[in-house]
Amino acid sequence: MNAANSGMKKKQWWRNYAIWFILPAFLLYTTFVMVPTFSSIYLSFTSWDGISDNIRYIGLENFKEIWNSPRVHNALTNTIIVAVALVLLENIVALVLAILVDQVRWFKNLFRSIFYFPVLMSGIIMGFIWMIILNYNFGVVNQVLDMIGLSAIKTDWLGNPDYALLSIILSTVWKAAGYYMIIYLAGLQGIPQELLEAASIDGAGKWKQFIHVTFPLLAGATTVCVMLSMINSLKLFDQIAVMTNGGPGFATETLTYIIYRVAFGEGRQGFGTALAIVLFILILIISLIQIRLLRKREVQM
Amino acid sequence: MKKKSYAKVFCGLLAASLVLTACGGNSGSNTNTNNGGSTNTPATTNAQTEGATEDKKDPVTISIAYATGDPATKQAIETTIDAFTDAYPHVTIKNISETTSDSYLDWLKTKEAVGEFPDLVEMRDTKVFADAGKLAELPEELHSLFTFLPEYGGKFYNAPLTGNTPNGIIYSKKAYADAGVTELPKTYDEFIAVQEKLAASGISPIVVGGKDLFHMGFWVNYFLINNVYNTDQDWNSKRTAQTASFTDAAPVQAITDYKELFSKYVDKGWLSTGDNQTASMLVTGKAAQLYSGPWMFGQISEADPSFEFGFYAIPNRDGSVIVNGLPTLAGWSLSADASKDAAKVEAITEFIKFFFDAEQYSPYLATVNGIPTTVAEVSYETGEQMQEVLRLMADSSVKKSMMINQWYGENAIPPQFRNWFYKLLQELVVSDGDVMEYMKQADAEYDSNVKANLQ
Repeated sequence: MNAANSGMKKKQWWRNYAIWFILPAFLLYTTFVMVPTFSSIYLSFTSWDGISDNIRYIGLENFKEIWNSPRVHNALTNTIIVAVALVLLENIVALVLAILVDQVRWFKNLFRSIFYFPVLMSGIIMGFIWMIILNYNFGVVNQVLDMIGLSAIKTDWLGNPDYALLSIILSTVWKAAGYYMIIYLAGLQGIPQELLEAASIDGAGKWKQFIHVTFPLLAGATTVCVMLSMINSLKLFDQIAVMTNGGPGFATETLTYIIYRVAFGEGRQGFGTALAIVLFILILIISLIQIRLLRKREVQM
Repeated sequence: MKKKSYAKVFCGLLAASLVLTACGGNSGSNTNTNNGGSTNTPATTNAQTEGATEDKKDPVTISIAYATGDPATKQAIETTIDAFTDAYPHVTIKNISETTSDSYLDWLKTKEAVGEFPDLVEMRDTKVFADAGKLAELPEELHSLFTFLPEYGGKFYNAPLTGNTPNGIIYSKKAYADAGVTELPKTYDEFIAVQEKLAASGISPIVVGGKDLFHMGFWVNYFLINNVYNTDQDWNSKRTAQTASFTDAAPVQAITDYKELFSKYVDKGWLSTGDNQTASMLVTGKAAQLYSGPWMFGQISEADPSFEFGFYAIPNRDGSVIVNGLPTLAGWSLSADASKDAAKVEAITEFIKFFFDAEQYSPYLATVNGIPTTVAEVSYETGEQMQEVLRLMADSSVKKSMMINQWYGENAIPPQFRNWFYKLLQELVVSDGDVMEYMKQADAEYDSNVKANLQ
């Protein structure tokens, strides 16, 4: 059978079982992911309001408006600030936690679980709880500041434009760091002890060991974590929608948030889709650059 | 072997029930079992052959949605729905309202986008949905129930829940007494003087639920009504035609006053205070005044029955009083899809009649402190604050106006402008910006919104 088939493999590809196994998943993916994506690309050139049956083609008007709109520029700036801050902070905190959890001797499993718990929480619930904690009049943070005598630095954490974005970033780091901690922890387990011992014999202190042995060997875990945290931070929505609604004013609006606000809230599905396409291209470019840069660092053990 | 056949039967049943729940889910029956669905169908077929009187027993499900931002209204409507379901057991009312911190319009549009547009909906943005063909006209038999039915494009889409009520200052009598305020202000400048006294006595003069954009509208529109709409009710249409501008003297005065009030006399945490927290801020003594409407009276009394408060409308600089009280395009509306199903139309008509029947409407009005819209006389026990509201509405020397987004016809603003404008004004206060600069931005955004809507 095989000898006969290999001669005419190209003409009878449908006899290959692998194709049939892949087919259902391929069909589902095409129908539910690819088709909407391509119809979105068409929608981004229209001025559909999301409700009526009338879809009017308007060419590049949406993209011109995106190019000129100060609100979009503000959202773009905020998106990049949030992305950079979240990637840096999440990874640093996750790495520090991973090292600590790796080296602790008692209650190892307890610590690993505790730091991971916030990841399991839904972003919306977390947003609501942090919103209550940070409330100016009734919130725990301000009450504690009052009790320890630091009333001077009391402020409306979510209502002050200087601190609103910072509050959202810090609470998101609290939520997400546990996930990356697990990945770094796995990476740490893969580092051979002999290398660290050799380094300490050669006179390297803890910090030098970290910089020259541990960190380079974590390159694989770093690639994964930086990629994931970058993509997740560019998509951040739940916390912003719940904690500040993009406010105060426009201070915490990001691209994902104004896609929701504009496409659904203002009845401009065409414009919102155009914004979504812009966000998609942004994430694509950033991810590709990141992958190129980070892959080079990786070392095959 | 027996175990294997049991397993097979069990799996088969599981699969079958999964499939059937998917089908059964659409009818929204409260019984939630396949048995419930199958017993209903024989009754329906029997009923259809029996004649018109039996049709009333046909189980019909209608979905309903209303704005849940205000707890008093939400509770009042839920009470009526429960009473209706008791009185008309063949009608199942599926309540799909959700509490979100988003504006009601955003939520409705989301619902529409996922194909869950309610059959009976509390409509506040009639123009948007009517233009998109999503609303049907109210059934003829309901028209005679109301004293005034707002009209759009020659059709009547709304059964108004309550008459439009004026906004005013709800103040804590104790706070006023502590600050030495003995007389209610007769002019805007006296009002500011009262704020100074309150601030001096150590309490936050005004609490604002700035986190909820609709709450911003109360104050913003006070200033707009008293400076812009009092002299020119058609200002919106002129702004659309670009013969008037936000940088004109009247709007600039309005926004400058707004900025001054918010910078000096509003509680510092206003941007993260939700509308539903304002009542507790008042009763716990953290703030002295709240600018809102009569629907808050019930909430405040419930929060603290012993709390003494009063109500008055803030006068203008020249001492005249203008309040938002003109009837608007809002009320219960029928969705176009529901109007194609005769059983649903009948159920909805029954519901609306039930809702406005004095037995239900009177307690509803009492809970939300509303003004009746029906021809039939409905009265209820009113507290001292509500009597002031009714006095204002009945007083012909008090002029009536509307909020910026409530004007309709030629004076309608682009629907997306309101939320953006309120956000801009939040930013104006927070960043201590220049009013003129911000008004120029408002002009630019208004024009681009008008242009975008014409595309």
